[in-house]
Amino acid sequence: MPPHPCETCHTSRAQILRPSTGTRLCAPCFTLAFETETAATITSSQLFHPGERIAIGASGGKDSTVLASVLQTLNARYAWGLELVLLSIDEGIAGYRDHSLEAVKRNAEVLGLPLKILGYEELYGWSMDEVVAQVVRKGNCTYCGVFRRQALDRGAAALGVRHVVTGHNADDVAETVVMNLLRGDLARLGRGTSLVTGTGGLEGGFASVKRSKPLMWAYEKEIVMYAHHMRLDYFSTECIYSPEAFRGSARTLIKNLERIRPESILDVVRSGIDMARLVPGAGGEGGSRSRRVEAMSRDVEDDTGGGCSGGNGEDAGGEMARVEETLRLNERADEEGTETEIRLPAKATNGQRHDRDVVHTGPAGKVLSPTVNGQNHDRHRHTSNNATVPHRTKQEKKPNCKAASDAAPPRQRLGQCERCGYLSSQAVCKACMLLEGLNKARPRTGIEVGGAGG
Amino acid sequence: MAGPPKTRRDNVAVDNSLCRRCQTNAPTITVRTEPLCSACFNKYVSTKIIKRMESFRVRHAEVGQERLLLLPLSLRACSIVLLHILSQHLRVQGEKSGRTGYRLHVLYVEDGKGEASEASKLYELIQHRYPEHTYSTRPLSDALALPGMQELLIQNQPAATIPLDLSTILTTLTSATSRTDLHHHLLRKLVLHSAQSHTCSAILWASSTTRLAERTLAETAKGRAFALPAQTRDGEAQLGTGTAFYYPMRDLLRKEVLSYTSLVSPDLEELILDERPRPAVSTRDTSIDELMRQYFSSVEREYPSIVANVVRTTGKLLVERVEEGWLEGRCELCDVGLRGRAPERSRLCFGCIRVLQTREAGG
Repeated sequence: MPPHPCETCHTSRAQILRPSTGTRLCAPCFTLAFETETAATITSSQLFHPGERIAIGASGGKDSTVLASVLQTLNARYAWGLELVLLSIDEGIAGYRDHSLEAVKRNAEVLGLPLKILGYEELYGWSMDEVVAQVVRKGNCTYCGVFRRQALDRGAAALGVRHVVTGHNADDVAETVVMNLLRGDLARLGRGTSLVTGTGGLEGGFASVKRSKPLMWAYEKEIVMYAHHMRLDYFSTECIYSPEAFRGSARTLIKNLERIRPESILDVVRSGIDMARLVPGAGGEGGSRSRRVEAMSRDVEDDTGGGCSGGNGEDAGGEMARVEETLRLNERADEEGTETEIRLPAKATNGQRHDRDVVHTGPAGKVLSPTVNGQNHDRHRHTSNNATVPHRTKQEKKPNCKAASDAAPPRQRLGQCERCGYLSSQAVCKACMLLEGLNKARPRTGIEVGGAGG
Repeated sequence: MAGPPKTRRDNVAVDNSLCRRCQTNAPTITVRTEPLCSACFNKYVSTKIIKRMESFRVRHAEVGQERLLLLPLSLRACSIVLLHILSQHLRVQGEKSGRTGYRLHVLYVEDGKGEASEASKLYELIQHRYPEHTYSTRPLSDALALPGMQELLIQNQPAATIPLDLSTILTTLTSATSRTDLHHHLLRKLVLHSAQSHTCSAILWASSTTRLAERTLAETAKGRAFALPAQTRDGEAQLGTGTAFYYPMRDLLRKEVLSYTSLVSPDLEELILDERPRPAVSTRDTSIDELMRQYFSSVEREYPSIVANVVRTTGKLLVERVEEGWLEGRCELCDVGLRGRAPERSRLCFGCIRVLQTREAGG
C-alpha cells in the first residue's frame, strides 16, 4: 500500500485499511476507534450498571480474548467500576481444550483478572471423556452441546454473577440471520439479533442470567486486526467438526457478500433486527425503532458455545437434507389436502431440540396439532424413501388448511425444569434428562473426593 | 425404474416407472422428487398459479365491470408463462360461465438495455398469439418524468442539468448493486403509475419462488428487510395508491417454470427473450442481487423446499405500519417508513442514499 497519512491523526503513516469504513488509519488510531465504538455500543444501550459483576465467557479464542482486553481497557478508561471475571468451561476432553485453556490462563495473568475454570466434571458429575466412554460415541455431541449451553449459566451462578458477556461478532450474528431465514426459524430470527437476552433477575435462579454481546457490531476481520496490533495471545478454537450445514452455507454467503460490499454485514444485522420486530408475537409490531434494548427471553438452544458445532450429533450435510425432506412432505400433504397414509412413529432423534426445529420449519399449524381439520397427520418423520401414494380420498380440499399453516408460529412456553430450575420448555430440562440416563446406566464407582466444591 | 410394483402397507402399489399422479403415462420430468408426465406437470404448474387467483374468480366479478389487472411483461420465461396460463384461465372461465372474473392489460417496459429489435419482434409475436388482451409499452426513462424524480436524482449529480437521462445516471452510480437497485425501483414506480393511469386494480408480478427468495436475501443484505412483507405479500395495497401487488407464480420454482416452457405444447420457447450469459463466479463487480441469484440457483437444485420456505417465512412477518396517509413518512425511492432509518429531514432512507451515491461523491 503506498504511503498514506492516517485519516484520523494525519501524522503517522496509515498501516490499516478498515474493512468496515474503508478508512486508512495508523494502528493506534485504529485500536482507539475500535475501543471507542465498542464503548458506544455499551453506553448507548446501557448494557452495564456501575459496579456490576460481569463474567466474560472466555474460550481462549480471538473473540473472547479481544472482548476481555477491550472491556478491561474501557473499564479503566471510563471508570465504570465493573468487576470483571473470566469464566472458562472445560469439557474434559484431553488434548482438545488444553491449549486454549492455557491461553486463557495466560490472558488472566496479563490482564490481572480472576479466572474461574469450570469443568463438566464438576458441573454435572461427568466429563466428556467419561460420557464418551459410557455412550461410546453415540450422540456424544448431543451431550456436549447441551451441557455447554447450561455451563456458562451455571458457572456464573456459582460465581454469584448475573451477567455474562460473550464475544459474538457481527459476522456471527449475520450468519445467524441468514441461517434462520434459510431454516424458516422465525422465533430464533427474533432472538438471534438481540444485544441482550435474559433478564438478570433472580426469578429463574441461574436460568435468568443475562447474556449480552458487546462486540455485536464489530467485524470479525477487525477483531483479528485488533488482536494482532495489541499482540494479544489467543488460540483458535475452530475444532475439527464440520460446520453445521446451514451455518456453513450461510457463512459462505456472508463471505461473498463481504467481498462485494463490506458494509453489507452490518446491513444484514440491521435487517435482522428489523425483521425481529416484525415477527408476530414479538411485541414490537410496527412501532418506531427505538434504541432501547429489549431484554428478550432466552431459549436455551440459542446459545452456541465456541468449538463444537452445536450438539445435533448428526453429520452436517444431513441437516439441510433433513429439513428439505420435512418441508417437502409437508408441502405435498398441504397440496393434496388429503389424508396421507404415511404414518411414522414420532421418532425423537435428538429430543427436544429437534422437535422444536421441526416445529419451526414446517407450517406451524400442522406440526403442532395432531389433528388438522379432522385429519390426523403425524409429521415427525425421519425415515425416508417411503414412496407411498397418498390416497386421493373424495374429501374436498379443506380451505382452512392454508389459513392454519400461514398462522403465526406458536409461542414457546418457557418454564422451568423441575430438577434444577433451568429454563426449559419441558418439565425436565435436557441436561437433567441426559444426566439421568447416564447415572442410571452405570453407577459411578471410584472414590469421590468428599464435598465437591467449586 | 422398471420392476414389479412394490406393495406398501396401505395396499396401494406404486409403479415408479410411471407418472406418480396419473400412473398412466411415462414420466418426462421429476418435480421435487416426484416423476410426472407432461400432462400432469402442466396441470401442476397451472394449478399453482390459478390457486393464487382466488380473488378473481368469476363469482367475485360484476358483469361488465370485471377488474382490470396489469401484467408487466419482461419477455423472460416467468412473465410469458404467466401470460400463457392466465390466457388459458380466462378462456376456461368464459367457456364455463360465459364471462370472466377479470381482464388483463399487458405492459411492456423497454429498458433500453440492448436487443431492442429482438425484443420488439417478440413483443409483436406475443400480441398476435394472445390478442384478447390490451397492450401498451413504455420506456423505462419515463420513470424519470414521474413527479419528484428529477429533483431526487439531481441531488447527487452536481455537474449535470435537468432533465437527467437514464444512461447518465446509471453510469455515474458506483456499483453494480446500485444500478440494479435503482433499475428495480424505477421499474416498480413506472409500473405502479401505469396501473393507475389504466385504472388497473392490481398488478400481477411474475416473480417465481426462487426470485422472491433472492429478493428476500438481497434486501436483507442491503438493510431493507423491513420493506419485504409489504412489497411481497399478495393483495397488499401499495402506498397511497390502492393498487395491490400479487405474485401468482410465488409457488413455482424458476426451474419448474423453465421446464414448462418446453413441455407445454405449443411450446413457448420462441417467445422468450434470450438471456445474456451470466457470470458463473461472483467477482467484486457483481451486484448483490446477482450473488443471491447464483446462490439460489444452486440451492434450488438440491433443496427446493428450502427455497420455498424462505419465501414462506418472510410471508409470515407482519407488515410494518406507518401512519396511513402520511406520505411524508416514506422514502421517496423505495417507499419504506423513514422513521429511524433516515437522517433528519431526509427524503431518502439510508439504504437509498447509498444507492444513489455517485463516484464523485466518494461512494
